[in-house]
Amino acid sequence: MLEWGTLLVCGVALLVRAPDALRGHNRSVFGILLLATLCSVLSIPGPYLAIDQALGSRNLTNLILRYIVFGMVFLVGLRLTTALGDGGARRLLTGRPGWWGLAAACAAVGLTFWLMDTHGSSVGLKETADTARNAVLGPFYAAAGRSYPAFVSALLLPALLATVRAALPRLVRAGAAVTLAGGVAAILSVPASFAPDSWEPAQLLVNFAAVLGYVTGLFVFWISAKRGQLRR
Amino acid sequence: MPLPAKAFQHWLHSVAPATSTADICRIAGIKRTTLAQQLVRGKVAEATLVSISRALGLNPVDGLAGFESYAGLRDTSRPPTQAELVSQIATTDLLRAVIARTGGGEATATLSPAPHATSVRNWVDAIDDGDVRHRVSAATGIARQNFSAQLTANRLAPELAVATSRAAGVGLAGGLVATGLITEAEAGWAPGARQAALEALSDGELATLAGDRLQALGKTLRRQEQEQAQTEKIWENLG
Repeated sequence: MLEWGTLLVCGVALLVRAPDALRGHNRSVFGILLLATLCSVLSIPGPYLAIDQALGSRNLTNLILRYIVFGMVFLVGLRLTTALGDGGARRLLTGRPGWWGLAAACAAVGLTFWLMDTHGSSVGLKETADTARNAVLGPFYAAAGRSYPAFVSALLLPALLATVRAALPRLVRAGAAVTLAGGVAAILSVPASFAPDSWEPAQLLVNFAAVLGYVTGLFVFWISAKRGQLRR
Repeated sequence: MPLPAKAFQHWLHSVAPATSTADICRIAGIKRTTLAQQLVRGKVAEATLVSISRALGLNPVDGLAGFESYAGLRDTSRPPTQAELVSQIATTDLLRAVIARTGGGEATATLSPAPHATSVRNWVDAIDDGDVRHRVSAATGIARQNFSAQLTANRLAPELAVATSRAAGVGLAGGLVATGLITEAEAGWAPGARQAALEALSDGELATLAGDRLQALGKTLRRQEQEQAQTEKIWENLG
């Protein structure tokens, strides 16, 4: 249910921006949405299993998905810090702390993946071998995959909060508020990785809320821009 | 708190006993649904009473004064202070007066009627002894920043305007003039009172006042420009 809803939202946001992207306007935002759509496609069992089987049924697709998410989040951070005029956060993101953070997250994801027994394709690594090692490493792998998005979200929070509270057009503030909700969900998803299995619905909700918040936020910003241009 | 619906209906019956609600709304230019909604909620906006009073040829101040929260509104023993009168002169009119005095030329044109673009904040500043905002928030329970936000938007809820007058110890109608709910004449301000207050200012006082207004205007404009630039940047990068 949630994954289809997310795909729908990403797909719609992607399609409405296509004309702008064709005209060469803000292609990087289109790229972000393209990656988001790709991620949501890979969260659906059918496409995931098809691709993963082609890659040898070792859930390599899941690892690739994590790296795509990192790339997408980096682009989101770049775009948002520029748009919101938060030079400090942008320097942190593109400077040494940002690169070290990205490198650490990539290494952590890669290492935990390599240490786990990942045979047997399954979305979200739900049905891999039921070994003690996997039980311990699973949450760490999930948390590592969410660490960099959480890091970037934390960098974005101050500027988003300031925008929500500023005397700007209502839709701009709404866009910032929705994006802020996505950022908070992205941060919460790190501790949520360690929640017991019985919390799975809440875990899923937080993960999808993060994606939906960012994508919907970008969509609202886009609508506000279109309306602003019409008014002129 | 706006006017209680029961008391409002009592007032309406006393001023227009034979007129139907539909007719009242028609002559007052209020939507019937708006009035009906206000009555159902039990709170009638002061502006509704003002429109109806004017349509019936009555002074809205008399109508408002009959309500508990506006008792004393009609008290003419406290005319507006000089500072209040001057605060209700538009900045452009003040600047025109500066030019007329220093250029020694034309007599000032007639003042544009209150309220003006920053009349609410200027009025509060004119009656503020430095502590009035604090007393208003203590008396009404409104948070200081919400009060400030209303001033910035050049708005002030009528009951707050009256509370502010009370806290400052000035005539109760001044704030209602500054917010544009009632006119100077309805408030009982003498015709030409603002003009007289303006003429009573010395050249130095006038120049200082105009300078303060210009500075505040500049600040507001700069902030608006900054917000505009901020918005443009967001649209440019995310639109």
